Amino acid sequence: MAAANASATRLGIGPGLRFADAKSRAPDVQAEPIDRGADAAALEALGLWSTRWTPLSAVDGIDALRLDITGCARFFGGEGALLNDIGERMAEGGLSCRLGAGPTPGAAWALARYGDNRVNVCRSDQSVEEALKDLPVTGLRLTENAERLLRRFGLTRIGQLYSIDRTALARRFASKEAANAVRFRLDQALGLYAEPLVPLRPPPDYAARRSFVEPISSSEGITAALEGLAETLCAHLEQDGRGARDFTLTAFRSNSSASFVSLSTARPVRDVGHILRLFRDRIEKIDPGFGIDLLALTAARPDTLETDARPLSADLAPGPVDRVALSALADRLTARLGEGAVRIPRAIASHDPTRAEVLAVFEGQEEDWDETLLAPRSDRPARLLDRPEAVDVLAEVPDGPPVRFIWRRVPRRVKRADGPERIAPEWWRTFNSEARARDYYRVEDEEGRRYWVFREGLYQDGRGGNPRWFVHALFA
Amino acid sequence: MITKRGLHSLVPPANRRRDDAATAAFPFGMGRKGVHEIAEAHYGDAGAAAGFALSALGASRSGIWLWIRERALMIDQGRVTGLGAAAFGLDPSRFVFVDVGSSMDALMATEEGIRSGAVSTVITELRSASFTATRRLTLASEASGTPSLLLLPHNRQGATAAHARWRVSPAPSAPNLFDARAPGSPRWTARLERCRTAPEQAGRQFNLEFDDETLCLRLVSGLVDGPAEARSARPADILPFRKAG
Repeated sequence: MAAANASATRLGIGPGLRFADAKSRAPDVQAEPIDRGADAAALEALGLWSTRWTPLSAVDGIDALRLDITGCARFFGGEGALLNDIGERMAEGGLSCRLGAGPTPGAAWALARYGDNRVNVCRSDQSVEEALKDLPVTGLRLTENAERLLRRFGLTRIGQLYSIDRTALARRFASKEAANAVRFRLDQALGLYAEPLVPLRPPPDYAARRSFVEPISSSEGITAALEGLAETLCAHLEQDGRGARDFTLTAFRSNSSASFVSLSTARPVRDVGHILRLFRDRIEKIDPGFGIDLLALTAARPDTLETDARPLSADLAPGPVDRVALSALADRLTARLGEGAVRIPRAIASHDPTRAEVLAVFEGQEEDWDETLLAPRSDRPARLLDRPEAVDVLAEVPDGPPVRFIWRRVPRRVKRADGPERIAPEWWRTFNSEARARDYYRVEDEEGRRYWVFREGLYQDGRGGNPRWFVHALFA
Repeated sequence: MITKRGLHSLVPPANRRRDDAATAAFPFGMGRKGVHEIAEAHYGDAGAAAGFALSALGASRSGIWLWIRERALMIDQGRVTGLGAAAFGLDPSRFVFVDVGSSMDALMATEEGIRSGAVSTVITELRSASFTATRRLTLASEASGTPSLLLLPHNRQGATAAHARWRVSPAPSAPNLFDARAPGSPRWTARLERCRTAPEQAGRQFNLEFDDETLCLRLVSGLVDGPAEARSARPADILPFRKAG
């Protein structure tokens, strides 16, 4: 048995009991196999949903969540009200939970598990030592051996450990490390050592939230609420004179789950209309479920906003390209087509023409191309195939151009050909000593179609069998 | 009643006059005004169609070229690359490529590009476009003044609301002055199937050659017979299609 509900616990069935023993105590006990993976996933989803109270939430072990509510309590009317809200909403979601709050994570851990009530708060006027005094030592997250040893000495309450001297403890323990571990846990609970929290989602830089008395479940409702949220968020950004590049809309549903959609822009923006237009198509992806009772719009990656003031005279215009408008267009296309849909060519320093260019995701930047690359040359193809396609070629050995070849099951007769242009492999990149040089030919067939054909390898170069031929590109 | 009108309404602006004159003769406004369709004559002519489109870009206004393409077509025909465009004298840093999955997405992206006013020309490679879609694009292009080129496969038939439809196929290239056995400047045969501004020219065939050195497109005559022999171009009516300014 790994876990039991309240009625089973009343009958004495709990974790650690064998199923046969449990059945003997209660013949009609129902059991299901435990699924740790699903539990972990559900716990993480619950942790993400908990970001409605605080942006810093993390999963703690297999059955607990840790929330850092520093500074969040005032939005909910105090710490007590916040915890009650958490408890109520968890109960609405069908989960029973115990809550503990304190100035340190260790104290909260102990209060949640071993406190007297379901909700235990260490008040600000109460010192941590006071609050933890009467809790059992197991609340310090010690190893089993350490616990057993402490119990043997009669140290069962945390309060008893306060006055124990470190060296005295070390003499009782098998090693100094074990004693130090106990002392370390105590110091953590008392706040002498920090315990940083790794949040499930990085906290946003700007946020605007809106909760609803009646849960909303239509996309029109979401759109209407989003307008207000976007205005508030952009007002914050404007106060700081910045724009942001990542925006996330999170919808917290009333059944303890949340869904979110996010988008990023090419340049920092803070224009309400632009943000609303980008979200317009993505709002359908939010599933309202039983109703959304809190909407949060957050912004990350803030940066100074570059406002291109429109010059009055065309002569003063910086260039023919309106980069702001172009970035806005790219944002709209990316929002509807997906990330990485809009790309620009970037030059790579390589002598191999098929590797000398790559498509980089457009982020508002301008690529510059070397002047020498821009010289028009007739031996670079217009259309490059993604992968070279093998062809059967009849050609003169050892390095004659193709005379006839069959490509895509159509025989073609070559009328004119130019080449070979030898492109050697980049030996510093490939550890493969079998890489072979390519001889490229420009060929034209009877109908005027022009191809870029290469032969991979030379006859009797010692790197594999006879060379093979491929079509790599089409000329205009 | 006196209605006040500005002086500019009495005299049509010089740009508009030049544009109107340009659309009455080859290339009938391609790359400068309106939506033009460029279709392959047969399967496998995609290289010629792309070359024809790239040669038209040389004369377009300064600014960004938005090139939208369907992924399925790219697997079949290959992609136009920045270096390939540089071979036509075009600056690769002016290209923005958008890869889409379907023709609907391609049409949506084309309309967004045309309406945005941020690009100087929109080129789209897609598998099909309905009449309604071409009508929408034509209206968008007239409203914003951004020209557009649609590159379509060989099975493109039927009515279209575009300004013109061209049918392009490759032709044997010009003689190479340095090596008789090597291919020379690329040549294409472009048939104007439909044209809204010059309907009497519909059906006319243009033999074109793209000159690598001067980077202009010329009309060439004397290629009617015999693709086997490459004759040197006797340009009867040369209309140099050069970048203005």
